[in-house]
Amino acid sequence: MNPVLEEIYSTIIPSAPYLIAAYALLWVALLVYILIIVRGQKRAEKQLELIEEDVKGRTL
Amino acid sequence: MADSKKRTAHKLPEAGQWPDVLSPWVIVAGIILTTLGFLMAFFVVPPVSGATVNGAELVGDTVVSNKLLMSQKIFYFHMPVAITSFAALAFAAYYCVRFLITRELRFDTCARIAMEVALLFTVMTMITGEMWTRFEWGVWWTWDPRLTTYLILMLIVIAYIVLRNMVDDPIRRAAFASVVGVIAFIDVPICFMVTRLIPSSVHPVVTRAGGMTPEMGLCIALVGVGMMCVAFALYRARFRQVRFAERVDALKERLDD
Repeated sequence: MNPVLEEIYSTIIPSAPYLIAAYALLWVALLVYILIIVRGQKRAEKQLELIEEDVKGRTL
Repeated sequence: MADSKKRTAHKLPEAGQWPDVLSPWVIVAGIILTTLGFLMAFFVVPPVSGATVNGAELVGDTVVSNKLLMSQKIFYFHMPVAITSFAALAFAAYYCVRFLITRELRFDTCARIAMEVALLFTVMTMITGEMWTRFEWGVWWTWDPRLTTYLILMLIVIAYIVLRNMVDDPIRRAAFASVVGVIAFIDVPICFMVTRLIPSSVHPVVTRAGGMTPEMGLCIALVGVGMMCVAFALYRARFRQVRFAERVDALKERLDD
């Protein structure tokens, strides 16, 4: 490769892991928060089911 | 008066309001805008030039005589995410003030969720910033004024969340947390203005005339609006989930009575 071009593009490959990590970790952080919301929702729904069963048991 | 108080006390916290209907559309808009911004950052906006090289070469239809900095592409998500964290903190502070005025716990819930979203975006800003810092400056951390004020901001947000887990009484917890929420917001303008106040900062002042090319500005705007949409949708999703859980708890209490 042309040495001048080599120098022009010299930071592209070394910066790639940091660039990929920055974008990947950004979305990982978002996904973790979404997971927290989904887990909380499921837990509350489960509790509601238990309450419904309890109410059914009381009315029977 | 006593009747209205009694009614308020027995009123179940609501789950699912009109913004929740809007949320799915907002998240779709957020995904589309951030994807467009991502594609624009890599395929439309030309790379920023770094140090001069010994010579010049024709790349495409331009003569290039500098190193092309690929790591700068992190900026197109780093800055919008930071701005979104500031916006989330502004909302949190607004709800903190509303709680302090009205003493209504629903404002505390709003503030708490806005703070959670702010922490998420603060962490995202830190992650993207750290990666960029490590490559460009060769260190994981430096006591640059912008970095330092932003670290303080993140620590205050973490302190807010830790404090909430330390106080049992809901009203006292909300009052203490609201004060910390307002303090966190005070750091926002300091953090934003620090590059202007201390010009020696390694962070450049980009929000000024000539700070960015039109393509860079458009890319930042796309990602910025997209990230605001994502933050709004996350806030509503979490709010809906928390209110739903509160409603279940209230039902449980009623049944126990």
